[in-house]
Amino acid sequence: METIPKNEEPTTPPVERLAYSVQEAADMLGVHYFSVYRLIQRGKLKTCHALRGKILVPRTELLKLLETDLR
Amino acid sequence: MNYYERPTPFQEQANREAMQHFAEHLNQFKTNCDALHGIECNLSVIANDALKSALLSPGRVIQTDDGAQWQHDVDLSNLTSICHRRTSADLEFAVVECLPLKSGEMKEALNSGHNVREVLQAFTSDQRQVLRLWKEDVKAQVREHLGEKYPRQDMGIVVESFEIKMARAISETRMHAQSQSRGIRI
Repeated sequence: METIPKNEEPTTPPVERLAYSVQEAADMLGVHYFSVYRLIQRGKLKTCHALRGKILVPRTELLKLLETDLR
Repeated sequence: MNYYERPTPFQEQANREAMQHFAEHLNQFKTNCDALHGIECNLSVIANDALKSALLSPGRVIQTDDGAQWQHDVDLSNLTSICHRRTSADLEFAVVECLPLKSGEMKEALNSGHNVREVLQAFTSDQRQVLRLWKEDVKAQVREHLGEKYPRQDMGIVVESFEIKMARAISETRMHAQSQSRGIRI
């Protein structure tokens, strides 16, 4: 009996997000989200805003703060 | 939208759902408002305690990331404390934050100066700005959440009610702090 070789599932590289919400940024930094708002207020993290005004923290800012690659 | 009109059943349902979804944010926000309120109400006492501690006991040394060495006086929260260091002429005070990031602890002097009371006032003023930032972000998150869940429905009244709840939490603590600190001098 012939066995049909299984098609290997294509491996898609993980999509890197450009920016994260405050909660997601807090999870990545390992701190409470209130600390992220404090970092933003002090200018330690630069931010941008989503369409409805939600704060977004660019990935580059998080990496800069952590000084390590999170991948 | 006329905010004096009764909310529609959709808006009432959305309000209940949003209250549940953002309950943790609202609780945390209130807790942080209360904590700030505690510092503002006891500003003179905390300032006196820090001054006494700086004059009497050496305190443990905290080195901030810029290399400066501070001596611990009084804790303000689990992350922040008042510290001091001796300069050639005087004592310098600072609110130092030790933030445990995944990559390591970040230690930074947030506000500093020679008058401990002024340092504390600058710190509480900054924390009020943080609360305002938080409030605006939650308002935007509520707007986004409702926009996705109830497309093409006017949910302005629900967003507004959230904003009012959070603004009230900030202003209640401020009014109370002002009435408590009236006439107190150190």
